[in-house]
This record gives sequence, structure tokens and C-alpha cells, in this order.
Amino acid sequence: MSKDHLISSYDQLPSTWDEMYTTNAQIREQYKTIIEILKNTSTDTLTKKEELSKQLFMTQGVTFTVYSDNEGIEKIFPFDIVPRIITAKEWDKIEKGIKQRLKALNLFIKDIYNEQFIIKDGLIPADLIYSCPNFLREMKGVKVPYDVYVHISGVDLIRNNDGEFYVLEDNLRTPSGVSYMLENREISKRLFPGILPKSKVRSVSNYPNMLYKKLKELSDLQNPNIVLLTPGIYNSAYYEHTTLARLMGIELVEGSDLVVKNHFVYMKTTTGLKQVDVIYRRVDDDFLDPLEFNAKSVLGVAGIMAAYRKGNVNIVNAPGTGIADDKAIYIYVPDMIKYYLNEEPILKNIETYQLGKPEEFDHVVKNIKTMVIKKTDGSGGYGMLMGHEASDAEIKDYIENVKKKPENFIAQPILRLSTAPCYINGELSPRCIDLRPFALSGKDGIDICPGGLTRVALKKGSLVVNSSQGGGSKDTWVLQ
Amino acid sequence: MLSRVANNLIWLDRYMERGNGILSLLKVNFYANQDSPELFSWTPIIKNFTTSENEFYTEDAIECIDFMVFNLSNSNSILNIVTKARENARSVQEHISRELWLCINNYYLYLTKKDLPKRLREEDPVEFLEDLRKHHLIYNGTFDVTQERGPSYYFMNVGKFLERVIQISDFTALKLIEIGKTSDSLEQSFYWKNLLLSVGGYQYYLKTHKSTFNEEHIIRMVFQDKLFPRSVYYCVNKLNRQINQLIEANELEKNNLEFLLGKLESDIKYTSIESINTQGLNNFINGIKEDVRNISMNINSVYFSHIN
Repeated sequence: MSKDHLISSYDQLPSTWDEMYTTNAQIREQYKTIIEILKNTSTDTLTKKEELSKQLFMTQGVTFTVYSDNEGIEKIFPFDIVPRIITAKEWDKIEKGIKQRLKALNLFIKDIYNEQFIIKDGLIPADLIYSCPNFLREMKGVKVPYDVYVHISGVDLIRNNDGEFYVLEDNLRTPSGVSYMLENREISKRLFPGILPKSKVRSVSNYPNMLYKKLKELSDLQNPNIVLLTPGIYNSAYYEHTTLARLMGIELVEGSDLVVKNHFVYMKTTTGLKQVDVIYRRVDDDFLDPLEFNAKSVLGVAGIMAAYRKGNVNIVNAPGTGIADDKAIYIYVPDMIKYYLNEEPILKNIETYQLGKPEEFDHVVKNIKTMVIKKTDGSGGYGMLMGHEASDAEIKDYIENVKKKPENFIAQPILRLSTAPCYINGELSPRCIDLRPFALSGKDGIDICPGGLTRVALKKGSLVVNSSQGGGSKDTWVLQ
Repeated sequence: MLSRVANNLIWLDRYMERGNGILSLLKVNFYANQDSPELFSWTPIIKNFTTSENEFYTEDAIECIDFMVFNLSNSNSILNIVTKARENARSVQEHISRELWLCINNYYLYLTKKDLPKRLREEDPVEFLEDLRKHHLIYNGTFDVTQERGPSYYFMNVGKFLERVIQISDFTALKLIEIGKTSDSLEQSFYWKNLLLSVGGYQYYLKTHKSTFNEEHIIRMVFQDKLFPRSVYYCVNKLNRQINQLIEANELEKNNLEFLLGKLESDIKYTSIESINTQGLNNFINGIKEDVRNISMNINSVYFSHIN
């Protein structure tokens, strides 16, 4: 069998950017080393490596449990062994673009919960803000340390067929996936020994230290009590919560471990109550405090918002950041960048139509076959309509539904997500990918970990990379 | 330490210790049952580890082992116990050593492998049980060499020794019922020997007393021996030390705990065999169980007092 067997049947998708191949099937510089190695490795060995990766995820407990019939089944997030590679130049632009965007978004959140200049200046309509389910009145006028609201973010990027990175979603609430960035790298070290240093791949292992530093600086205390608040073992990201707590050496707590007394938050310990200073919460706003939000929530802590407003505890990310990553607000981010920073956006937005506007609604319906319609408060790839693969009846039903409350929907042209080589059934095949780098903001600015989570749509031709819908992930190599 | 964490650590080790005890009991009874099924039936074992609602009984060795290892409706099946131990370990990962978590996770993955029940049916059942027990030995070894000697370590040991005392008392009570049914001294000696095997003290007994089965020697070894790690006295003494470490570190309140433990330890140590015989071994065991229950409630109350 020829060495080229591995890539001989690599079918590039039409008018799609491929991360490995140029349009005339030349291997891009950054992929040469790894492809050479893959070509010189037998299919058997590669398949063994693939098996090994699955086993490693299982034995390290990088799993989530799916419960059915009283029995828990351990699942892993599918992993593709071929890394996704980003050049230093590409990364430089991504880094600058995300920093710029986060700076503007953070100023926007501060503005919205305080003076609201952006509304007064007529850039964003007030009713859009107030009708947004993620806008929290409870945050109005609340002072937060160093004016930082979004401490941790995971901006989703995709690369369109023009080779440019576009922002798909901002993810400013409780973005997950960073543990996979860390774990995927640990697996790569074992799958391809020696190749990481040879390829000059930048390390991601510093992330927990960076995160701890950002959390610590929120308190004036020498040795603040920092905890990670998890919804508990049934949450699909529980593995990530335990990992981050372990890697930072902080306590993992559940809502029932905390109690508020005289507007201070305490945790219940064997030696009595111990005050908590900083809470990295992985519980959504809605469930954070049954006294102020969802009264049925047992995941949160009664009275925590009052303690927060008094400045007696820090909550990370700040409640109410969801106002800035709402899909209806997304449209205004380029304007925000100009408004707050007086700069041109470095990373582009995807062209987005508001179905609440009649002329845009008409345009979308006319071009429905090339459009994807999303709910403004949706996530996880649910509730979308992909025009090119939906039947006429499905489209009709969906549009009827949109008409009931058109302002709750937006539409975007179906994008050509870039493809990257994946090892599937003994050969390399192109699959659609996105990229979620993780950024940390604090008093000294924004740090972005050189890497991130590359999600991949493992189904052939699929554009949906969400793990809940057949997506997997890849290690992401940022070169020096 | 978070109260929930302390509670989870105690139960993590209780589950692991229970699993280990059940597995040795199954193995010992398997051998004995092959020799004399009329003396060593499976029913009492199933009864001891299931609730009163259980309706499943069998005298088929493989059926019984399958029920005790894999059955999901049996709350004390090894699969259920290890699942709970793993959930506890998972939620306290930042308190236990990484190696210990990986060890429990691997045990769980091994137990949930699809072909494992088939192995029990088609291969040597003793090796099957031994392979499971190895995971407990690895767990104990890993715990010993990787866990720092802080509150986590002591809470886990509290769980381990509490469970062990309860188990030894239960196993003995179980045998006493059988012994009470017969006046044949040979049969009685079989039961005593079986008890020694079940608590893993047979070899040590032979070394000390040779191959003569004297009831008093056995009672003394199982309850009062200072060197045998599965004697009631040894466990209570260890429990006492762990709890004192926790009291010293302010992780537990003295309350009655110190008193209860001190009293139990001397009761076991200083009760003569004559006095045990006078009150009846059964009553002696019930007294120990009652004390252990009180101690356990006391630890719980310290834990729960901070919850509310």
C-alpha cells in the first residue's frame, strides 16, 4: 500500500477553506510535519492510537454520565487524533481581535447596567435591551471590582471560505470546554511523543494558574477563600468543574454547601462556618439565587445576590453578562467597538438579519435555502432551521412559528465552516470545525491561552459541531 | 473541610471496605458450599446484605454471586457499592490523591465491562472474585502510599474501621445463628473455622493455636487480638486514634465521642472470656453494635449540626 493511501481520497468540500490543503491541493506549511508523520505510520498503528485515546479518556475519568434505566453509562466526548494547527500569524490576529471585542463588550455591560449612554446616543434601541431575557435589572448600579464583568469567556470563531475568522458567538456567561483543551493536549503528548516540541507548539498548561491569579486578585485579602460552585454530579460538565477545582487547589462546592448570613457567604465545614470571598460559579444566573431569580432552584444559594451587591462576595462571571452575548445584541457588536473604542473591528461578525424587521424578514424568506434561522436566546445548536437541508413543510412550519414572535429570531447565511483533516475509518477526511479560544480578563487586562477547543462535526457534511449533536473535538496547536 | 466532603470521604471508605468484606465472604462460602451445601447455604448471606423487601433467594452458587456482584436492585451489590464509592470519590477529587481516584475509576470501568458477567458464568468463579478483590487491595495500597496524613486520611479511615467492626460483628452473629442450630461439635467447628476464613484470620489462627478449633481461642482472636488487623479490638483502637487526630485538628467535636470510644475499647479489652460466656456472645456482640451505632450517630451529628 502506498504511503499516500492516507490522504489519496481526501475529498475537499467545494468552496470551503481547508486547514490542511490549499485550493490546488498543496499541503500548507504548518501541516507538513504532522502529515509526514501520519503518512509514515501504518493504519494499524494509527487505529491503535485512536483506541488509546479513547481508553485514556475513560481511565482518566474524562467522561460524563448518561443515565438511563437506573444505570449510568459513561460517555466520552469524541476526540479526533489529528491536531488542528494555527500559525503564529493567524493567532496574532485572533488574539488581537478577541481582546478588542471583549474590551468593548465589557464596556457595554458596564454601560448598560449604569448610565446607558449607548441607548441615549441611539445606537441600540432600549426595548431590545429590556426585552432581552438575559438582562438583569438586579445588576443596575452594582459596582464590580475593576469594572470587569466578564472574567472568563470562550468566543466561538469559524473560518469562512475567504480564509477569514468570523465571530459566531461570544459566550460570556459560563463557557465550558476548557478542560478539554487541557486534556486533549495531555493525550496528544502521549499519541505523538516528541512532536509537540519539534513543531514548536505553544503550551496551554498554564491556564489553571492564570485563572487562579484572576480569581485571587478580585479580593483584597492575602489568602482569600475561593470556591468553584457546581450544579453537581449530574451536570454534563461536572468533569470540568472537578478538574479546574483540583488544578487550582480550590474547594468544589454545591449550592447546599453554602449559606448566607448577615449578607456574607459562608461554607459549612466540619469546623463551623467559613467565609467565602470569591465564587467561580458554573451555575447559570437563573439558578443562582432562589430569592431573586428562579424560586425553584436548589442549585444556588438564597441571599447570594444581596451579599454580592453589598460587595461581600465576588461572583465570576458577574451576573447579567448574558445581555452581551444574546444573539439579538450580537448584531451591534461591531458598532459597539466603534462607539466605545473608536476602532475598526478586527474580527468580523457574520451578516445577521433581524426577523423583527419586515424587510429583512422578507429577504430571509426569499433566500431561505441559503439561510440558517436561530432563536436569539437559544444555544447548544437546538431550535435552529438549516434552510439547505430542511423540507418545504419544515420550512413552512418554522416560518409560521417565527411569525408569532419574529423579534425572537435572527437569520444568517449558511456559512462554509472550514474543514480540517480527521482520521476516520483508516483515512483522512475533511470535517467542518470551529474554534473556541479561552480568554481571561482582570485588572491588568486580557490574557488568552494560546490554544483552545476545536470542535468538529464528525458527521460527513454536517455543519453542527455541538457535542450534543454528534460533535467531537481536536487538540488545537498554536505554533510559535 | 466541607461537611459534605467529610461525609463523602467517610462513606467512600465504608463502601470500599464493605465491598472487600462481601467479596471475601463470597469466596469463602463458595469453597465451603462445594464441600457441604447443607451447612453453608447462600440464603443467610443474601439475607444479611439485602433489605427486608428482597425476594430473591437462590442456592445456586453462580446465581448468588451474580446477584451479589451485578444486580442493580440489590443496593449492596458490588456494582452498586463501587458506583456509589466512585460518585463519592468523584465529588471529592481535590481532597483525595489523583492515584486513588484513578484506581476507583478503573475499578468501576472494569466492573461495567460488558463481558464480565459472562466471565463469571464461563470461567473459574474464584479467580473472578479474586480479580475483583485485587482492586480493593490496590485501593488500600494506593491510599496508604499516596494520601497525605491530614483530615481526609483520618475521615476515610474512620469510615473504613467503622465498617470493619460492623462487618466482623455481623459475620459472627451470622455464624452464631447457624451454630445455635446444631449440637454436633464437628459441625460447630466447621462454622468457627468458616468465620475465621471469612474475616481473613485463618492463617494467623493456625500459626498461633495450630489446627485445633477451640471456641474461646477463636472468640479471643476475632474480638480481642491486638495484632490481628481484622479483630474488633484492633479496629476500635484504630478508630479511636483516627478520631482523636480529628479532634486534635478541630475537625470533630469531643462531645461524647471520646468517652464512647474509650469505653468501648476498654469493654472489649477487659471483658474476660468467662464474662463473655456468662452474658452470651450474642449479647456481647449486640452491645458492641449498639456502641458503634452511637459513635457513628455522634460523628453524623457533628456533621449535620453544621448543615442546619
